[in-house]
Amino acid sequence: MKPKDSAQKNYAAWRFFSSVRLTLVLLILLAAVSIVGTVIPQRQGMQEFAQGLSPGMLEVFRALQLFDVYHSFWFRILISTLALNLIVCSLDRLPATLRRLRSSPKPDRKKPFEETPPEHRFRTDRAVGEVAGVVEPLFRKKYKKTSRKDGESEVFLYGERGRLSLFAVYVVHLSVLLILAGGIVGSTLGFEAFVNIPEGGSVDTARLRDTRSPKPLGFRVECLDFDVSFYENGSPKEYRAELRFVGGESTQEATLRVNHPFTFQGIRFYQASYGSIPGNAVELLIRREGSPGAETRVHARRGEEVPLPGGEGAFVVDDIRQDFMRMGMGPAVRIAVQPTAGEDLAFWVFLHPERVASRFSESFRAFPKLNPSAFEPYTFLLSDVETRYYTGLQVNRDPGVPFVWAGFFLIVFGLFAAFFTSHRRVWIRIEAAGDGTLVRVAGTSNKNPVGAEREMTQLASRLREHLGAQGRQA
Amino acid sequence: MINTVILSYVTFGYFAAFMAYLCMMVMGRDILGRAATAITLATLGVHTFAIILRWVESYQLGIGHAPMSNLYESLIFFAWTIVLLYVLVEWRTRNRSIGAFATPLAFLAMAYASYSPNVTERIQPLVPALKSNWLIAHVITCFFGYAAFGIAFGLSIMFLLKRRQSPGGRSTFLSLIPSPSLLDELIYQMVLIGFLLLTLGIITGSVWAHSAWGSYWSWDPKETWSLITWLVYAALLHSRLIRGWRGKRIALLSIVGFACVLFTYFGVNYLAGLHSYAKV
Repeated sequence: MKPKDSAQKNYAAWRFFSSVRLTLVLLILLAAVSIVGTVIPQRQGMQEFAQGLSPGMLEVFRALQLFDVYHSFWFRILISTLALNLIVCSLDRLPATLRRLRSSPKPDRKKPFEETPPEHRFRTDRAVGEVAGVVEPLFRKKYKKTSRKDGESEVFLYGERGRLSLFAVYVVHLSVLLILAGGIVGSTLGFEAFVNIPEGGSVDTARLRDTRSPKPLGFRVECLDFDVSFYENGSPKEYRAELRFVGGESTQEATLRVNHPFTFQGIRFYQASYGSIPGNAVELLIRREGSPGAETRVHARRGEEVPLPGGEGAFVVDDIRQDFMRMGMGPAVRIAVQPTAGEDLAFWVFLHPERVASRFSESFRAFPKLNPSAFEPYTFLLSDVETRYYTGLQVNRDPGVPFVWAGFFLIVFGLFAAFFTSHRRVWIRIEAAGDGTLVRVAGTSNKNPVGAEREMTQLASRLREHLGAQGRQA
Repeated sequence: MINTVILSYVTFGYFAAFMAYLCMMVMGRDILGRAATAITLATLGVHTFAIILRWVESYQLGIGHAPMSNLYESLIFFAWTIVLLYVLVEWRTRNRSIGAFATPLAFLAMAYASYSPNVTERIQPLVPALKSNWLIAHVITCFFGYAAFGIAFGLSIMFLLKRRQSPGGRSTFLSLIPSPSLLDELIYQMVLIGFLLLTLGIITGSVWAHSAWGSYWSWDPKETWSLITWLVYAALLHSRLIRGWRGKRIALLSIVGFACVLFTYFGVNYLAGLHSYAKV
């Protein structure tokens, strides 16, 4: 991809995308627009906020996709530009890095020694050849790619270490690209859905989060049991769903808890929420006025015919509601009475009649459909409704995850190497001086010059120790 | 519970350390500096003991978990990481002036935890989403990262103060602050450590979210603000490493970065609070 012809490098586009100034602008822009997304309510949260806007403003917000900033076209353009910037920057600088990697500088270079501080040199009484014999093996132990050159009365050594540090920055950039790639793979090839399954129930489709359209799973999921436990202070302790997965030949059972998802045929299930729905069994208290007066406790199941205690016919519980008309009045059941003489009639009976009383006027309650004494001489009281839990599952498939994980893994190593290792080149000059020998060390580093200084000081003092020199500094 | 009592005294310990560092800076007496270090170390010891005690007490209550699960515990831990990191920096640089800028951060975190009516100091049981081994890894990496950024922030303030020193000026306070070039290097080192740890914190949080909620990234305000913080420090590193920015610009960027850290930590709750207020 990199243009071979150096003249081509002058292309404005290449220069533009390889500039770090662009990187800085993009990083700050991304940070700024991310803030916008945390201030303006996004997606589901937008309704209320949108109501406070004038129609014109609402139109502007919609056109700029401000209610879904992180999936808007312009956010994607920023991310893509950053990715392109990363790629071009890396390609632009890679050749220089490779050259640096391959090059082996001459051992007798003078330039590194132009300003040798006193800590980096020492004198010894031993002869040049003897000193080189001690220094070279020590030097080879610590540095790689070492080379030696012998002059008339001098020996020059060169070595380097930390060459991989040169590539750390590319590893970091590659891992950012991997993470972005994982995000793209996940959003194009994967899906995010949810489904509620009541205890004893089963499903073979989930509902997609973004479009709310059904998503066939290709297998059946049954909820065998759901349980929620609480701490003494009333906060939830554990949600636990016992599930059975039935797909073709294979059947598998699994316990789902928060933080413990389960994967079946490539689709991951997460315990996300729960709730309760009325079951099929209810308990009724049936009061009969007059003679014979009686109070009978009756257990009834939905759709099952139950004889009236006085023998005037039978009734059926034909509907059970968790919350009557969704008005916070609590559970209610509909009683359909089929008397042996007279017309059939049906009415609602409430678990919490006091709530109905506080909500509705006397006259409204006289309405036969809400009157528990509509069928004389009986009064029906609802004393219990069986509840069943349902488990709310998050259902995902994300083939991008391995890319993201690989990116995470690499970025940690890359950052560590980029920040805390460096490529060091070290030269040693051993030369005759007066009646003894002068040893000087010098080094260059691609980063952390302070650390490089320290390393040279340590190297010099170690060599001096091994040579048993008096430490006379030249 | 005894641990919260001890921790409320720790608050005063750090305040005393701050005062001692400050007196040292104003009067330039070395003995005050040594006293400040001694107070800091002793308080850190008591602080460590109280955290361990809280951990033990949670097990005695039958709801045992590492003390890192709510705002109170995180503030206590934040203060602890700041002081621990500062002590290491003092030891490495042999310079005590940084203490006058690091200990107040720890004191403020402790005071907020111990004396704010909005922060409950009770040991609460873990809700199902927090029951994960990722909790400890996530909290430790995030807060050491925050602490490194916090110390970089203190150093940046020192840098800006030091610039005001006129040549030949006789302010003891300013002359005790290290040279601008050393401060610049230290800011950079702290940001490196903070950036690596913040990256690890985001990664551990992300892996955890993937197993708890089914998505490694869902653009929730806290996640987004941690990314904003990451982007700001990434900009700082690029401007320094590639464009060669030094000194004042880096110090200012590091202050902006720490403001983002604080917003990620506290402001996000305030954001949500703003919304619920607006709904009324």
